[in-house]
Amino acid sequence: MNRSLSHCVIKLHEEHHALEDYQGGVPRWCNGCGDNAILAAMQRLCSEEDLAPENTVFVSGIGCSSRLPHYMKTYGFHGIHGRAFPVAEGIKMSRPDLNVFVSTGDGDCCSIGAAHWIHALRYNMNITVVLHDNHVYGLTKKQASPTSPRGLKSNTTPYGATLEPMNPLTVSLGVQGASFIAQAVDWVPEVLYDIMQAAFRHRGFSFVRVIQRCPEFMPKAFDPWLHDPQRTLLLTHADGIQLGASLSSAYRNQRVHDPIDIDRAREIASLDDPIPVGILYRNPAAPCYEDLRHAGQMRSPEYIRAGFDRELDKYTVWPEETTQTQRAA
Amino acid sequence: MNDTATLCPPESGAARAALPIAEHIVEVISDSGEGAQRCGQSLAAIAARMGNGIWTTEIIPAEIQPPARSVAGASGIRIRIGSQRVTNGGDQTDLVVAFNEQVLIGRVQARELKPGATILLESMWRSHRDPAVVASYVTTVEALRKDGFKVYEAPLEERCRELVNDPRKGKNMFVLGLLCNLYGLDPDLAREQIARIFGKKDEKVIRQNVALYEAGAAWGDTNLDFKYRIPARKSTEPQIVVNGNTAIALGVMASGMDICAMYPITPATSASHYLSEVFEKIGGLVHQAEDEIAACAFAIGASYAGKCAVTITSGPGYSLKQEAIGLAVMAEIPLVVVNVQRGGPSTGQPTKVEQGDALAAIFGSHGDAPKVVMAPCSIEDCFYSVITARKIAETFGMVVVVLSDASLSTAQQPFPRPAFSEDWLAPPVDQTPVPPGARPYDWDPVTGLSRRFQPGQPLGMHTLTGLAHDRASKVAYDPAINEEGLRARSLKLAALQKTLLPPPVFGGGDGEAGDLLLVGWGSTMGAIEEAVTRLRAEGLAVSSMHLRFLQPMPSGIREILKRFKRVMTIEGNWSDKLEDELIDEDNRRYSALAMMLRSRFLVDVDCWSEARGQPIKPGDICRAARQKLQSRSQTS
Amino acid sequence: MDMQTQYQDQLVFHLTGKRQGDGLSAIDGLDLRPALLAPYRDLAALRHDFPVVLAERGADAVQSLSNLVNAVLKEVAPRGIEGERLRRHALQLECEIRRAVDAGAGGTLAELWDAAAARLGAREGLHDDSVLEQVLGHAGAALRTEGQVLGCNHEMPARLITHAWQVAQRDKARRFHADLSRLVLKLSDILRAAFSHSQAGRKPQSLKQSIGGPHQGAFDFDALSRIVGKGAPRDELPASRRQRIEHALAELESQRFFAPASAEEDQGRACFGFRFDNCAAAAQAFRERLPEVAALVKAISIAELETAGHYVEAEHDLVFDAFGEHSLTADDLARFPDYLVCIPPQRNDAPENANLMEMLSSAMPVKVLVQTCDLLEEASIGTGHFAFGVRSARLATTAMGLGGMFVLQTPSANLFALRHRVRRGMECREPALFSVFAGAPHGAGPLPAYLSAAAAMLSRAFPAFSYDAAAGSNWAERFSLENNPQPEADWPVETLTYVDTAMQRASEPCAFGFADFMLCDARNGGHFALVPRDRWSASMVPAAEWLALGEREASQRVPYLLAVDGSDALQRVIVDARLMQATRRCLLLWHRLQEHGGVHDSHAERLLTRSKAAWTAEQAAGHEGAPRSPKPHRPRRIRATRPGSTRHAARAATSAS
Repeated sequence: MNRSLSHCVIKLHEEHHALEDYQGGVPRWCNGCGDNAILAAMQRLCSEEDLAPENTVFVSGIGCSSRLPHYMKTYGFHGIHGRAFPVAEGIKMSRPDLNVFVSTGDGDCCSIGAAHWIHALRYNMNITVVLHDNHVYGLTKKQASPTSPRGLKSNTTPYGATLEPMNPLTVSLGVQGASFIAQAVDWVPEVLYDIMQAAFRHRGFSFVRVIQRCPEFMPKAFDPWLHDPQRTLLLTHADGIQLGASLSSAYRNQRVHDPIDIDRAREIASLDDPIPVGILYRNPAAPCYEDLRHAGQMRSPEYIRAGFDRELDKYTVWPEETTQTQRAA
Repeated sequence: MNDTATLCPPESGAARAALPIAEHIVEVISDSGEGAQRCGQSLAAIAARMGNGIWTTEIIPAEIQPPARSVAGASGIRIRIGSQRVTNGGDQTDLVVAFNEQVLIGRVQARELKPGATILLESMWRSHRDPAVVASYVTTVEALRKDGFKVYEAPLEERCRELVNDPRKGKNMFVLGLLCNLYGLDPDLAREQIARIFGKKDEKVIRQNVALYEAGAAWGDTNLDFKYRIPARKSTEPQIVVNGNTAIALGVMASGMDICAMYPITPATSASHYLSEVFEKIGGLVHQAEDEIAACAFAIGASYAGKCAVTITSGPGYSLKQEAIGLAVMAEIPLVVVNVQRGGPSTGQPTKVEQGDALAAIFGSHGDAPKVVMAPCSIEDCFYSVITARKIAETFGMVVVVLSDASLSTAQQPFPRPAFSEDWLAPPVDQTPVPPGARPYDWDPVTGLSRRFQPGQPLGMHTLTGLAHDRASKVAYDPAINEEGLRARSLKLAALQKTLLPPPVFGGGDGEAGDLLLVGWGSTMGAIEEAVTRLRAEGLAVSSMHLRFLQPMPSGIREILKRFKRVMTIEGNWSDKLEDELIDEDNRRYSALAMMLRSRFLVDVDCWSEARGQPIKPGDICRAARQKLQSRSQTS
Repeated sequence: MDMQTQYQDQLVFHLTGKRQGDGLSAIDGLDLRPALLAPYRDLAALRHDFPVVLAERGADAVQSLSNLVNAVLKEVAPRGIEGERLRRHALQLECEIRRAVDAGAGGTLAELWDAAAARLGAREGLHDDSVLEQVLGHAGAALRTEGQVLGCNHEMPARLITHAWQVAQRDKARRFHADLSRLVLKLSDILRAAFSHSQAGRKPQSLKQSIGGPHQGAFDFDALSRIVGKGAPRDELPASRRQRIEHALAELESQRFFAPASAEEDQGRACFGFRFDNCAAAAQAFRERLPEVAALVKAISIAELETAGHYVEAEHDLVFDAFGEHSLTADDLARFPDYLVCIPPQRNDAPENANLMEMLSSAMPVKVLVQTCDLLEEASIGTGHFAFGVRSARLATTAMGLGGMFVLQTPSANLFALRHRVRRGMECREPALFSVFAGAPHGAGPLPAYLSAAAAMLSRAFPAFSYDAAAGSNWAERFSLENNPQPEADWPVETLTYVDTAMQRASEPCAFGFADFMLCDARNGGHFALVPRDRWSASMVPAAEWLALGEREASQRVPYLLAVDGSDALQRVIVDARLMQATRRCLLLWHRLQEHGGVHDSHAERLLTRSKAAWTAEQAAGHEGAPRSPKPHRPRRIRATRPGSTRHAARAATSAS
């Protein structure tokens, strides 16, 4: 078929999309907010992967992070707090042909949506997820989030956050069926992009946690890491991320890590200083829920009618005289 | 005197003429796990195949494994068999087969048995090794006889043991035989039925159960001095016999929806069970989500990107879904929510019937969240409601709540086999480019309707949002824009209302007006109309009206209400009783529908309701209606 | 009589084909066969590839009875005595079936198996029923592959090839229907989706139909129609698009190339047939149907575009307006059924061959079977020289010359062994030619078709080879000499073992050449003369050796063949010059094939000798301290040529040194 007429003419049509084709409204995030870096990466990803805007959906919940769909010129679903995952799953299940992205935050995903997050990892549907993790609630004006560092003074924790922060990486890696777990930081955009691309190209539920700055409520929180490249641990591998020369020289703290090795992945995940950056785990073999459930089947009306009538037959009481004819019909 | 001696074995069953009767209510009750329900369902199915009208009501203990021989543990089924079409469970039981006296006590105390009713009681307990059991049995039997019940003791266990090693498993088929013989049902149909039940198992099992059946029939024939015949009229068109939940599942299939998302909850689950079994065979799928909220959100996502989806739940689950439902309302995503109501609030009575969620369905979710609320009023209606709901949801871009209940969910009633039509099916997902310049919320100024855009449609790209938004789906910061959205979403209800015809008034030729109009909704239709028939037979000018749509209410209701001197709703939910010391007209809390009618039409609508967890009986309705009429004659 | 006159008589016969003197006798009626074929009198007793089963389903379209029986035994035969008895009976059963088939019985494996089992039972069943029962019982296992059973007779090639063709077409049909139903559904979906929010879809009647029975009474559909119609966007499907989609749908649903997948889809429309027994008819059918092919391809392409939402009128209308037969690509045609032409032996004549070449050289997707039953027709010039199978043998080589093509030449006896090639030929998108020799015609000789066909290959009279244009970029990858015995040799040489007059076990190497093959055909009796044992002499040399002799020695020797008569007595027959001449020509053709197959590649050998010379020269020069020759890389380059050549180059080298 590859050279047959239909394909030639489809080739004839193929249009290519520029960056502008994905740029929606003007972002209303604060200057220096990590979300901007993620948005840039997303838009670049779409254009470089040449995704048809009409076949791409960005789903989000509530929070600063969840504004992202508004700034994309694709289809977007800005839903309710914590429920981005089930919404995205429903979309993917009814339309496996769509490219589905989820943009969520540390409150949206790790707190109110935690149950959905765990199960989304289990379902392993072919969805690309970015967790914008700035360790604080921004939209509601500074409350402690599950990933806030212990002692963080916020409006709900004026005397300092009481609990140890949750580690989304170790949690994700603890879930059966997880197939792609990676971490990026907004201050190394090149790697952020490479990871996003790998995440998109992975067939399955790709979970990328992006540690990002919140200039408004957590200024300077990450300065130590910004100032000392040694405190960022870059994970490299032939099947993972490879670094350009300039990056390599800037960030000398590197480790070769094979993403298929889940035990090492779990060790690395539990590091908080230095911050590991790269693909921690990838298992291309993990089956996708939508495939297991044969989503997106072709259903002709005749097909449905036949199945429906078969079912009715089980419960039908035929009047004696018409029995034969009815059954024949 | 020796109890068993009261039983005068006739020379031959054939000699006895069967007593023709118009209808009978039969109960089979046992400890759970003894198969009483299977026995009753088979009896019903056979009767239905004979051409009788039937209605089955399951008697379900709350726990899964209640202690044996406990009053609360009664598990079983009530079958109302009539020569005409039967529309409800009826009043009290005429004949009951009980596997032990304890479960029987429960039924008697609940006044479920007709005075002087016939009781066929397992006699094994009389010779039980535990004297306490024997004592309880003997005293109970005597008490029952004293109260005028006709008690026949049947050696079920004993006879079954002659045929199978575990009589506890076989009894139900023995009883089936007994009852079929008693009501003169066609043994061939019975054998077919048995074959159908055990069809998956091997020949041996079927043969064994047929043997049990025949033993039961033989025992009844020789040992019982009475027989009944309920004349049947075979229908000329094919009928299907299913319960309400199965009907809902079939409706989902026939509506062409692709996806059902659910989370297990009683009494809705059996619909999802059945759907899970069959939906994939026609390319659909049931997703069991991690929780009720996820189930709803999943359905919303599926609906947004594809065909309208459905989520099936019950009270507590329905409460959990509220925020998500609000999102669907705000974003105008079509969605069908089936709520199989159960006793509430909170966990309430999971297995028992109640019509308690009407107001939650109409007003549920914060802010102004207009939704369509329908209530199927028969098993057949359960099936067609889903098709209608899907159509409305997609045509009006609204959430449609379908309020079934625990009584419909398990009740069986034959109805004409639906003739599948491809026009019922949801249209395929539209992937054509949207017209240039069109916006996702181009609300029509009159109807509030707008055409929905779906992912995959070129030129339609927009970000749907639960935030207040303008016609382009851009977040609205301007109060005027917010108001425009509210108005449009609300107008859609009015638009739908304009397309709904007034419900028919039940009551025959001169029933269009009269002294009393009973108004009901949902599963009570059969009971109410039966009551009306009886009352009119008594010469009372009573009619009834049954609402399929609670929100919006069809046009023309005001006129109908005006034609009656008194209006009273009959509902299976709570309303304060004026007899209570503190209750007066100012603080009385009315039943849901009464409240809606009063507020909407400024008519003094009274209500009679009970929320005891049992289907409302026609007899009780009659009583309530007579009272209402008397109170009128007193006041006037 | 002295040696001299004996030799004279033999020489005269050799040169003239006339027998004089009493030394020589005619071979007619002696039931002679080449000595090497002596062991194969009772074929049915020998387990071999035939009969075969044309499996109705499963990956292997053709299976041999022996393999099936082995498989069953492997699966069901227990260890120990029991197993042995079971094995014995199963093999008896197999032999029984083989005899039946050779005797002309036909039918499915199941039928033949049961029949044979019954006969066996009748014969032996009496003493141990149980084991027979077992065999019969286990038959079921074998019959998992069910299908027609074929012996190696003259009908076999056509039926086997046709079967292989049907299997290939079945797969094509499956793929085609998958595409078709997908497109039909998606196209109708577009129309249905459009309808739901079209003016027509908003008519009260349509709205009413979308509501179920009892609920229809609850609605005022005129009102509903007004409501949903209000201010609804006018986004009817553009007329041009609707028309395009409807037209494509009609085309797809009325196609006549593949029979409908299921009976209920069949609206009694007559589908095309694709089997022919002559090229002209096939070619004409192909031509006549081209317009319909083009129309369907066009519809499919439009459908693909429309369902993907990629149809842009500005760009595509032009393409499709201009689209016609001429625009069809090989890939478009490859989606359609292949034509099958089975040319029966009697039709296999010069004009038909001409049509064949013409058809093959056109781009028509066709699979052709040319079957020959007689390699020994007289040459058209009719000077009494045979054109033994020249045409049939040339057919394949000529086709090979056409290039983009699949060619398989093989005797029928070899068809099973080459079934993978047959399959390949059917599956490849190039035109395919199967040239098969099905064994000498009945009554032409003592040999059954299977042996006769096998002998044709053995004797190089009809060698097996295949040419698969798509298999690679060079001859080595495309051409294969398949499994000719001893492909490196002129004639295959086997050791002949026999008991001599002194009742001693003797054995000698014995070549099987073209002349031996000719001996199998009674019609050639005249070319041979029997030499009684007492007249055997040193002046007689085996035909194969005789060919190798120089002019002079040859003129003083007489070529003979070893043969056995009806009573398996070893005999010598001398061969006349005309037949030996034919033998030389046969050898020439064989050499050409060898070279195609890289055996004794003359180029490689020449290169090698040249470079050897250069090398020795260098050595010499080196010793004299002269400057080294500037091309020491030559030999390496030769070795770098394809393995075949170097191997033989090496052989040549050793022989040369």
